[in-house]
Amino acid sequence: MSSESSKKRKPKVIRSDGAPAEGKRTRSDTEQEGKYYSEEAEVDLRDPGRDYELYKYTCQELQRLMAEIQDLKSRGGKDAAVEIEDRRIQSCVHFMTLKKLNRLAHIRLKKGRDQTHEAKQKVDAYHLQLQNLLYEVMHLQKEITKCLEFKSKHEEIDLVSLEEFYKEAPPDISKAEVTMGDPHQQTLARLDWELEQRKRLAEKYRECLSNKEKILKEIEVKKEYLSSLQPRLNSIMQASLPVQEYLFMPFDQAHKQYETARHLPPPLYVLFVQATAYGQACDKMLSVAIEGSVDEAKALFKPPEDSQDDESDSDAEEEQTTKRRRPTLGVQLDDKRKEMLKRHPLSVLLDLKCKDGHVCIEPRAWPVFSLQSFPSSSDLLSPDSVLSCLYPGDHGKKTPNPANQYQFDKVGILTLRDYVLDLGHPYLWVQKLGGLHFPKEQPQHTVITDHSLSASHMETTMKLLKTRVQSRLALHKQFASLEHGIVPVTSDCHYLFPAKVVSRLVKWVTIAHEDYTELHFTKDIVEAGLAGDTNLYYMALVERGTAKLQAAVVLNPGYSSIPPIFQLCLNWKGEKTNNNDDNIRAMESEVNVCYKELCGPRPGHQLLTNQLQRLCVLLDVYLETESHDDSVEGPKEFPQEKMCLRLFRGPSRIKPFKYNHPQGFFSHR
Amino acid sequence: MERAAQQAVPLGQMEVFQALQRLHMTIFSQSVSPCGKFLAAGNNYGQIAIFSLSAALSSEAKEESKKPMVTFHAHDGPVYSMVSTDRHLLSAGDGEVKAWLWAEILKKGCKELWRRQPPYRTSLEVPEINALLLVPKENLLILAGGDCQLHAMDLETGTFMWALRGHTDYIHCLALRERSPEVLSGGEDGAVRLWDLRTAKEVQTIEVYKHEECSRPHNGRWIGCLATDSDWMVCGGGPALTLWHLRSSTPTTVFPMRAPQKHVTFYQDLILSAGQGRCVNQWQLSGELKAQVPGSSPGLLSLSLNQQPAAPECKVLTAAGNSCRVDVFTNLGYRAFSLSF
Repeated sequence: MSSESSKKRKPKVIRSDGAPAEGKRTRSDTEQEGKYYSEEAEVDLRDPGRDYELYKYTCQELQRLMAEIQDLKSRGGKDAAVEIEDRRIQSCVHFMTLKKLNRLAHIRLKKGRDQTHEAKQKVDAYHLQLQNLLYEVMHLQKEITKCLEFKSKHEEIDLVSLEEFYKEAPPDISKAEVTMGDPHQQTLARLDWELEQRKRLAEKYRECLSNKEKILKEIEVKKEYLSSLQPRLNSIMQASLPVQEYLFMPFDQAHKQYETARHLPPPLYVLFVQATAYGQACDKMLSVAIEGSVDEAKALFKPPEDSQDDESDSDAEEEQTTKRRRPTLGVQLDDKRKEMLKRHPLSVLLDLKCKDGHVCIEPRAWPVFSLQSFPSSSDLLSPDSVLSCLYPGDHGKKTPNPANQYQFDKVGILTLRDYVLDLGHPYLWVQKLGGLHFPKEQPQHTVITDHSLSASHMETTMKLLKTRVQSRLALHKQFASLEHGIVPVTSDCHYLFPAKVVSRLVKWVTIAHEDYTELHFTKDIVEAGLAGDTNLYYMALVERGTAKLQAAVVLNPGYSSIPPIFQLCLNWKGEKTNNNDDNIRAMESEVNVCYKELCGPRPGHQLLTNQLQRLCVLLDVYLETESHDDSVEGPKEFPQEKMCLRLFRGPSRIKPFKYNHPQGFFSHR
Repeated sequence: MERAAQQAVPLGQMEVFQALQRLHMTIFSQSVSPCGKFLAAGNNYGQIAIFSLSAALSSEAKEESKKPMVTFHAHDGPVYSMVSTDRHLLSAGDGEVKAWLWAEILKKGCKELWRRQPPYRTSLEVPEINALLLVPKENLLILAGGDCQLHAMDLETGTFMWALRGHTDYIHCLALRERSPEVLSGGEDGAVRLWDLRTAKEVQTIEVYKHEECSRPHNGRWIGCLATDSDWMVCGGGPALTLWHLRSSTPTTVFPMRAPQKHVTFYQDLILSAGQGRCVNQWQLSGELKAQVPGSSPGLLSLSLNQQPAAPECKVLTAAGNSCRVDVFTNLGYRAFSLSF
C-alpha cells in the first residue's frame, strides 16, 4: 500500500523534474502549482493493462480490509479501535487510488473518442467526394447516350438503296471514291441525290397537269358535238314508229311506259314492275298501264316517305301568314288536311279481264299513306264493297301505317270514311303488292318497299281478285233474276232438288246493316260476330198459300268460299222462329251448315241460288208434313205430296228435310 | 253475362263454318261419370264432349274450365241418349249402341269398347235409338226408338234377349219402376205402356191423349217425357204435363204448362221439368209452380242431376238443349254458369 502510493508519488516527482530546467526541488509546492499537472500526458505513458491489474488489486485489498474491520468490530476489544483506525486509513488510501484510476479511464475514453471522430470526419469527406464524382460520371454517361441516340431528320427520308444509288446517281454527286470509305460523306451524297430526284419529279408533275387541262378541253368539245346529235336520233325514232306498229312490235310503247315508271313513287313502282311481270308470265288477261301527268310528278320531287316534311311545310306556311292576317284555325286545319291528302299525280291502272266483264283497279299513292285502291269502272255490284275483305279482315277502312294515326290526329281527320270517295280504300293487299310492310309492333320511320313481298303476294291476290270478280258478276246476274221472283237454278244443279217445287220466291231486296241487326230473329248471328258492317244484307220472302217465310240473308264479301247465312221466320198459324220451333232450326241448319252440297260445280257461284231453292223445298216439306189437328175442322191446307219414309224422328221430332236423289224421297239426316 | 256483342273478328272460311256449326248445335243427352266429377254431353253432329265438373266448379275455374276436356266423334248420327254404368258410358243414336270406358275416355283417340245393333225389322232406314235404360238388378240394358220396339240386351254377354212390341209409332222415352220391376215407355202414338220384365209382356196401357184434362190436340198426342216414382208417374209432351196414379190409371194433377215438355224427373219432393222455352220448371206435387229458372238455351231437351255419392261437391243440376251450351245450376234457384262445346 504505501509502496503503491510511493510508486505513485515517484512519477509525480519525476515529472516535476522533467519540467523545464528551472524546475528545482525547492520549488516543490509552489512550482508544482505553476507547472500544471497534466494527467492527459500521464495517460499516454501508463499502460492500461497494468492499470487494470492495479484496479483489481486495490479492490481486493479493500475487500480484505473491510472484512478485517468487520471481524474486529464484531469481536470488540480495546485495541480493536486502533486497528480499525489503521485499516480505515489504508482503505482511504485505496479509495484514492481507485479515484485516480477512474479519472485515467475517463481521460482515455475521451481521447479515444476524439480520435475516432477525427477519422470519421476524414472518411466522410472522402465519401462526399466519391459521390460527387460518381454523379458526374453518370451525368456524362447520359449525355453520351443522348448524343449517340440522336436521330437526325435525314434518316426519316427513304433513301434509295446503296446499289441503286451507285448505279443511278451521276458521278459528281455520288463521288464514289470519297463516299465508299466515309459513311458520313456517303449519307450526304445520298441526300444530295434525293434532292436532285425530287426536283426532277416536280417538273414532271407540272407538265402532266398542263397536259390534263388540254385533254379536258378536247373532251368538252366532243361532248357538245354528241349532244347536238340527240335531236336527230329522236326524229329518226319517230319516223320508225309506223314501221314498228306495222310489224306488231310495240317496243316504243313499252319503253315509254318504263320511262314514266321511273317517276312513280317507290310503292307504285314495285307494284308496276311485279304486275307487268306477272301479266307477261302467267296471266294474259292482266294489263298494266300508267296514268297521270309525268311533269307534275317531276315537279313534285318530294320522296313519298318523307311525310315529316309536312310538319315543317305547314309551319313555314304558318309563319308566312302571320305577316298578313292570321287565318282562322279552321282554315289552317283545312289547308293542312289538303296538304296531307294530296296524292301523287301518277297512278297505275290494272285491268283484269274476265269472261263476263272486266275490272279496273287504280292504286294511287299518297305521300302520307301509301297505297289506296280505287276501282274505277263499276260494272259490278258496288265499287265500295267489291274489293273489301279479299283476305279475311282486310276491310280497308283504316290506314295500315301506324304513323298516320298521329298525323291524322294533328290535322283533325277522325275517320277515313269521309274521304273515301277521293281517296279510295287502303287495303292491306294493295300495300303488300306495292311491297310495303307495316309491322304492327314497331312503327317505322321510313317505309321500305320490298319487291319480294310484292312478288309473293301477286299471284294469290290476282287469283283472289279474279274469283271475287267472277263471283260478283255471277251474283249480279242472279240478283237480276231473283228480283223478278225466279230462282235461277242451272241445269247441273237440278239433281239437288225434287222436280216439283210449289213454294215461290216472292221478294228479294237489299236491307241495311242496322235493319238486319234490328230484326228479332237474327240476334244469334249478330251475337256470334258473323254480322259485321262489311257484309251485305238481303231479305227474301217465300210464300205458299197462307204461309209466309221471311229469310234474312248475310252475304259475306268472301262469297262463295264463305257461305251466305240464312235466318228464318215463318208466319203460319203463329210466328215460328228458331227460338220456338225446332223444325225452323233444322231448316236453317240444312241451308247454313250443309251448304257444301249446294255449292254446285266449281267454282261454286251457284251457292246462293241453290240455297234459296232448297229453302223453297224445305218450306214445302214443312207445310205438307205438318200433322193435322183433329180438333179443327176442314181439310189440310197442304196435302202431302212429297214421299217421306217417316214424318218425325228423334226427341225433337224433326221433319224429313233431306232430299235423296235419284229416288226422290225425303228422309232424315 | 256471356252475351256481350263481339266485334267482327277477321273470319276465314273455317271460323265461319265453326261458328255456324255451334249456332246450329243441339245437345240431346247428358250423362254423369260414376265418380261424379265428369259430365258427358252428346250433340246432333254425333260428337261427345267430356266436361270436368270438378274443375268448372272449383274456385280457380277459368274460361277454359268451361270448355270440354276432350271432344270426340262417337256416332255418325246424333247422339240421342246416354247412360253410365259404374264403369262404362253407353251412348246411342243412329241405331247402334256403343260403350266407352270412363277410365279411358279422357285420353285422345279413345275407341269404343264395343258396339251393338239390335235386330231391326226394316232395312230401308236404320231407326234411331231414342232412349236407353239400365236395369241394374238384372244387368240389362233396354233400348227403344225408331222401330217401335223395346229391345233388351244383356250387358255381360251382349246378346239381345227379347223385344217388346206394342207401340204403333216410335218410342220417345223409357222409365223404370223398380219395385215390380216394370218398364214404362212413352211414344209418338200417345200411349204410355207398362211392361213386366220377367214375363216380357205388356201389363198396362194408358192412352194419355184420350183423357180430356190433359190432352192438347193442337200440340199432337206424342209423349215426350216420362218419370216414375213407384206408384206415381208423371208424363208430358204434346198433352199437358200430368201426374198419374198408376194403379188406377187416373190423372191426379195437371200442371199448367203450355209449352210441351221434353224431360221430367222427380227430385226430392219436387218435380223438375224442361222443354220448349228457356226455363227449368219446379213443381210441387200439388200442381203449383214453385219456381221457373231461366237457362241460356231457347229450348231444353235434357236434365241431369249429379247425385253420385263419390263427389258431393259436384252435386249440380245440368240442363242442355237447343244450343251448344250446358247450363249448370249449383243451387236450384239460379243458373250459375254454362259449359260450352
